This record gives sequence, C-alpha cells and structure tokens, in this order.
Amino acid sequence: MKDIARQSMSIKVESMDLLNGQIKMEAHASATYLAMASWCEQNGFFTSAKFFFKQAEEEREHMMKIFNFLVDTGANPISPEVTGINHDYSSIVDVFESTLEHEVKVTKSIHNIVKKARELGDFATERFLDWFVMEQIEEENTVRDILDMIEVTGTEGVGLQMIDNQVANWIE
Amino acid sequence: MNVIFQSTYYTLYQAANERCFYVDFGQKTVRMSLCQLLALRHKVMSINIEDHFDSDLNAHGFEVLMLCNKEHLFVLNTLEILDLKTLVSNSFVSLGLSVGALETITS
Repeated sequence: MKDIARQSMSIKVESMDLLNGQIKMEAHASATYLAMASWCEQNGFFTSAKFFFKQAEEEREHMMKIFNFLVDTGANPISPEVTGINHDYSSIVDVFESTLEHEVKVTKSIHNIVKKARELGDFATERFLDWFVMEQIEEENTVRDILDMIEVTGTEGVGLQMIDNQVANWIE
Repeated sequence: MNVIFQSTYYTLYQAANERCFYVDFGQKTVRMSLCQLLALRHKVMSINIEDHFDSDLNAHGFEVLMLCNKEHLFVLNTLEILDLKTLVSNSFVSLGLSVGALETITS
C-alpha cells in the first residue's frame, strides 16, 4: 500500500500540535512586548519603548519561522488567536522582570518540544529547534543584563532616566 | 480503496490511485486530501467534550462541523463527536503520522 500520508507530511502530528502551540506563544509574546512598548511610551521611557518595539518584531519573526517550517513539512499551521494581554505594570523594573519571566517560559516550552520530538524520533523538528534553543539563551541573557544594570544604577533620583538611556546598549 | 481505520459510525479509506482519502460519515462519503484530513483533525480535537455536559456552554449537545472549505456541513451529537475523535486519533496512528500517546491540541 502506498504511503500517501508520509509522502505528504514529514513530521509527526504530535510535533505539529506542539509547534502550533509555540506559534501561539510567540504571537502572545509579540503582543505582550507591544503592550510593554505602549506602557514605556506613556510613562516617558522612550528608549525602553524602542527596545520593546524591536522585541515585538523579533517574536513575530520567531512565530513566522515556525509557521513556515510547518508549511515546508506539509503540516497544518494554525494562525493564532491572541487574548489576555496585560497592559498594567507598576514600574519599569516590573516591566523587565515580567520580560525575563516570559522568556524563561518560552525557553521551557521550546525545551519541552525538543524533548518530545526526541521521544517521537522526529529528527527534523528536533534539528529545526536547535536555533531556537540558542536564541533563547541570548534573549534571556539580554534581559538578565538589563536587570543587573537596573540593580547597579538604582531607581532613586535620576536613576530611572539613566536606566532608560542605558537600555539603548541592548538595541541592536 | 484500503480501510485505514473504522470506528463505530465512521470509516477512513485511502485511495492510493487518487492520492487522497475518503471518510464515510454514514449519510455521505467525503473525499479529502491529507491537508483537509489535518484540518478535520484540528476541528474535531479542538472540541471540548466536557462542554456537552454543561448546559450553559453547550445547551443542546450538538456540534456543527464544516469541512473541506465549507463544502460539507455536519451536525453531530455527543456520541458521534466522541466516535469521530476516536476515528481521527486512531487513523493518524494507522497512517504512521502519530504515535498516539500525546494528545496536545487545546481549543
């Protein structure tokens, strides 16, 4: 019997489901960073706003990378529904702490898919995610460095203004 | 045509010479490509069956399924949906595209 299914699709449906979940997560991250950019603009942190506009774009690129991988493997990519975006932050420190939390969540999710792909023997998905594993190290490191800088600078006096200016160092 | 999987109400066939699949829904048989089969899987597995037991979330216990770019419309009850879920998940295992252990679709 001809294997039409395997000829039409190169990955397992379980991997496809997990990658569709990741698409949703990246879209959510992109929308969250856009909300953070909006908060920064409204509270006078204009350099941080630029940083978050750029982050929002990057997350969308990640989403599209996964989306296109699913297209290339003959799978069924699902355009994500994004809801429940938080627009309220108590301070700029809160914004960056939430960013790190978010990045850690994304890293855990990527690692989980790699683990499952390995269990499934889905080498294509596992290799595809290599780039994301390394990218997440960079993403987490950037936000950790910013939080370290905030700690050193302090938020008293002109500290907040200095923090915002320093964020420019992390905008590529 | 070869039978891929048969559940209580439905049967999935592979038509190798046409490079497609047929799902026998009882009332009618629908021709599907693998893409359309994947879309059916997404729709069926996204249905939260628990909603059928909550009159606020699903008052009548029916689901309306539109398949193949709205070419076909089915109104299915709780038992039929459960059976369709069985057909879909087992069919993908039979087709070699699923190991059957992980059900990850959430609505």
